[in-house]
Order: sequence, then C-alpha cells, then structure tokens
Amino acid sequence: MDVITVTDLAKTYRTPFRRRRVDALKGVSFSVARGEVFGFLGPNGAGKTTTIRCLMGLCGITGGKAEILGAPVPSRAARQRMGFLPEQPYFYDYLTVSELLDLGGRLAGMTAADRRARADQLIVRVGLDHARGLALKKFSKGMLQRAGLALALINDPELVVLDEPMSGLDPIGRKEVRDLILEERDAGKTVFFSSHILSDVESLCDRVAICVGGKIRDIGRPRDLVDATTTETEVRLALADDIDAEVVAALAARGARSRRTAGELLLTVAGGVDVDAVLAAAHAAGGKVIAVTPRHETLEDLFLRRVADQAGAREVLR
Amino acid sequence: MTASLFRIWAIALNTFREAARIKVLYAIVVVVVAVNLLAIALGEMSVSQHSRVARDFGIAGISLFGSLTAIFVGIVLLYGEIQKRTIYSIISKPLARWEFVVGKYLGMVLVLTALVGAFAIAMTAVLAYQGVAVSGAVAKALVLAWFEVLTVAAIAVFFSSFSSPFLSGTFALALWAIGRVTPDLRAAIASSESTWIKWVAKGALVIVPDLHVFSISGGDVDGQHVSVNGGFVDWGYVAAAAAHGALWIAALLVLACAIFRKRDFV
Ligand SMILES: Nc1ncnc2c1ncn2[C@@H]1O[C@H](COP(=O)(O)OP(=O)(O)OP(=O)(O)O)[C@@H](O)[C@H]1O
Ligand SMILES: [Mg+2]
Repeated sequence: MDVITVTDLAKTYRTPFRRRRVDALKGVSFSVARGEVFGFLGPNGAGKTTTIRCLMGLCGITGGKAEILGAPVPSRAARQRMGFLPEQPYFYDYLTVSELLDLGGRLAGMTAADRRARADQLIVRVGLDHARGLALKKFSKGMLQRAGLALALINDPELVVLDEPMSGLDPIGRKEVRDLILEERDAGKTVFFSSHILSDVESLCDRVAICVGGKIRDIGRPRDLVDATTTETEVRLALADDIDAEVVAALAARGARSRRTAGELLLTVAGGVDVDAVLAAAHAAGGKVIAVTPRHETLEDLFLRRVADQAGAREVLR
Repeated sequence: MTASLFRIWAIALNTFREAARIKVLYAIVVVVVAVNLLAIALGEMSVSQHSRVARDFGIAGISLFGSLTAIFVGIVLLYGEIQKRTIYSIISKPLARWEFVVGKYLGMVLVLTALVGAFAIAMTAVLAYQGVAVSGAVAKALVLAWFEVLTVAAIAVFFSSFSSPFLSGTFALALWAIGRVTPDLRAAIASSESTWIKWVAKGALVIVPDLHVFSISGGDVDGQHVSVNGGFVDWGYVAAAAAHGALWIAALLVLACAIFRKRDFV
C-alpha cells in the first residue's frame, strides 16, 4: 500500500500582484510505500520544500494530484496520523519545549496523561533533557531542530515527513537523527525526508528520488541508480626515501593520474587496467602497498551529473 | 464538535500564555494606572468635580488604551505566525484553519479581558480612594468599553489575515477613528450640500463598525443626554450594544477564516 502518491504535481508561485510567476514544480510524480525510508534529493531551489508544502496542505496545488494515507491533500484525517518537521523550524518564543509538545499533543487530541508521558520520553530521545526550563527563544539552531523533531513525533505518527532533518545538527546530532529514522522504520513507520547529505541518504534510504528544476530525474533504490561497475581503483604505495626518480616515474605512468607525497605515491588506475600487474610492479620496485580501493559511482556522482545535465540544458536553451 | 472546541481552546490558551509574557503589555497597565493617578491629581484641582473627572478619565483610558492594545496585538496575530514560520508546525497538526483563526482570536479575548479587568480594578481603586462609590453607570460603561475593545480586536485580526502589520495597523486605526465618530457622519449626511460627501459618509456607515455605541457618555442617546456621572443608559441598551459588537465580531471572523483558508503559507 502506498502512503504517499503524487501524480503530475505542479505548483506555480505568484507574487501578490501577479506580476511574476515561478514554476517551482513542473509535473512531479512518485509514490512512497508503507514502511519505507524514502529520501528526496535535489540541489537548492529544486522544489523539495515546495513538494513537501503541497503534501502538508500548507499551500494549494496548481495542477496534478497528491494523496497522503489514502486521502487527497489537504486532509485533516491524514494529518492526524502524520508528523511534520518544517525546514528551519521556529516556534513560539516564550514557550518551553514541554509546553510546545503539550500544545502539539492537545492539537492531536491526546489525553493529558498521554501527552505528558510521550513528551517526557521524546525530550530525552532528542537530547533536550538539559534544556527543559529554557524558553524556545533561547534555543540554538540545532536545538530548535531537535524540538521540531520531537513535535513531529508527539502523536506517534505512521508517517513522518522531515524537511532537511540533519541541517544545523552537529555530527552527534546527525547520528542521533539517523538512528531515530531507523528506529521509526523498525517500528513499521514510513519516513519521507529531504536532504543534502548524500552519504546519509545512501546509507539510510530504501529508495530515493532526485528532483532537479521541478521535475523528478531519477527514482529507485540507491544501488540500482548508481553504476555498480568499478570505474577506477586507487592504489596507495609507501616508497623508500632513496628510490630512483625514474622508477617512480615508471610506476606513476601506470596510473591514469598520480600524486606524490612525502614517502607515498597515490595512483588512480583506470577501470579495465590489470591492477594486479600494477601491484606486482610496485612490489618489484621495493614499494609497499598501503591500500587498494576500488571506486564505484556513488549517489554523489549521480547527483552531480544530474545537476550538470540541468546546467547544460540551460546553456543550450539560452 | 467537542474535539474542535478542545483544539480551539488549546490555541487560545497558547496565545494567552505567549502574550502574558510580553512585557510591553505590563507597561500599558502601568500607563493606565498612571493616567488614573493623573485623574486624581486633576480631580483634586477642580474641587467639586473630582469624582466626575476620575470616572471620565478612567472609562476613556480603558477605551483608548484597550483599543490601541487590541490593534497592536491583533495586527500581528495571524500575519506574525506566517512570517515567523511558527504556523507550519501548528497547521500541519490535525487542526482546521478556521479553528486556528478562532482560537487565536479567543486567546486575544482572554488577554484583552485580563487587561480591561486590570484597568477596571485600578479605576475602582482610585474611585474608592476618593470615596466615590462605583455606580451601576460605571459598571455599564465598563462592559461597553470591554465590548468596544473586543470589536476593535476583531477588526485588527481581520486585516491581519491578509496584509502586513503596517497596512493592517493603518487600516485598523482608520476604521477605529471613523467608527467612533459615526454621529458626525450622520450629521454630514443630514446637512451636507455635496452629494459626494453624502455618499462617502453613507458608504462609511455601512462598512465601518459603529464604535460610538460603546462610548456614549457625555453624548446623546435617542435625544437624551447621558453621562456616567448622571443619567445613564439602561442594561437593555448595554445588551443591544453588546449584540451589535458580537455580530460585527462574528462577521469579521467569518471573513478572516474564509481568507485564511485560501492562503498559501510560504
Ligand atoms: N514563496 C515563494 N515565492 C516565489 N517563489 C518561490 C517561493 N518559495 C520557493 N520559490 C521558488 O520555488 C523554487 C523551489 O523552491 P524550494 O524551496 O521548493 O526548493 P528546495 O528544493 O527546497 O531548495 P533548498 O534545498 O534550498 O531548500 C525555487 O526556484 C524558489 O525560488
Ligand atoms: Mg528546501
């Protein structure tokens, strides 16, 4: 069963006096299955936040269709079973995080006892236990992000939608959010999130979509999207200090690229070249192999290629 | 239905909590108390009239400062939520947009009621100090001032549903000023030579809430001079004025909800 279904979604922003139009989404289609962790990628201004705003009913849609938990947006019934963390969240200045969570719980129709228990548990889970007495106005960016995460989870939602949940977090915070997303998935929940941190996306997501210029360019499992064949191999060698310069030059010539640092040589061997032969030659020259790393295309490479395609297309149009 | 009321109440309570921590509101209370003290001083000067001055000053102060507070809190009530992005996390909860608008207004009603209450207590204290009993007329005038403040708040909230605080403030102050001089508008219609002025005045009477009905002390009602210090209106008049205010509040909130429902929060 699909939890989110988006078909040909279009959104045009208009400035108040209709002088300027921005086509932010030009026919976006994808669906998210129950129990999936789904990553939504794209460069700045691609339309990620716009898609999420449309899904959350924060803004009207110009064309196409969007359904959440079986109901067309905006649906109050669907929001009952869903949690949302906006991009760069901001809350009421003078509330504490407990008061904020209490408000969220009330709006979700929870009983007082449930609200208190759930809020207490979440405050610890997002690492804000030390800031219970502090007004939200005095929270740092990362702390606000954590408070927002807790607020999104207050009603134990089936579907969690997060707009850049890792932004503004320190490395520990990022790991905590990764763990949190995995915990949600293990509890059978669906997580949909946008992000710029490709390594996180690659390791966390069951499926990803790449959005560029208001359109979906790629969608699928991370390892199906990227080319898994080895593109090149990195060979790191330790060389003796008194080694003959000509021997080094001969070794270096075996790589497509090479770089010499103090006592070391880094060779990048093109795919298709016999790496064993390179290693044997290094051995013969008295070098020691430190590391051999086969390189595949990563999500980052794909991402950069898609963005470059888009920039190229713009050049041609111009 | 009860679930809906529960959510509206949650928003109202939150709005009150936030406002209760805005320090400027306390400054306003201090100013009003200062005005009352000034009233004592002036009353002492005009020996025979001190109770009159204290009452007039007290009621006028409540009406003036209450209305100004209503405008300054009201114009940021909805717009501020969008601008500060606080609305995103709230409206994504299972809450209808109209419930949000009504809840915010209700929260403001709580704030303004507390404020008018504080003013009233200050005024009563001043009157008691001077040995003047709080008459039924003063109680009626207080209820009228309270409804005036709530109506002005609805005007400000209505504008806040679609325009920036600066524009909302300008519009709300204009409506408030025009709404208080409705007898002059009627006089203009009756006496003016220019049909143009007549039409403008008639139009204004239709679209501007009549706020004069709430501050009648010192003026005429049905050809009779009324004053908090002498013959004043009866409770029937107060009820009718309150109903007039409630209708305007309902109409303005319905409009605000309709506008807010269509808005993109970006
Ligand atoms: N309120 C708005 N009015 C007009 N145009 C807007 C508005 N908000 C966004 N846009 C435009 O819509 C496009 C998509 O923006 P969006 O915020 O969805 O991007 P994004 O993918 O979330 O980017 P980022 O990674 O920077 O968060 C951009 O071209 C942006 O200029
Ligand atoms: Mg964004």
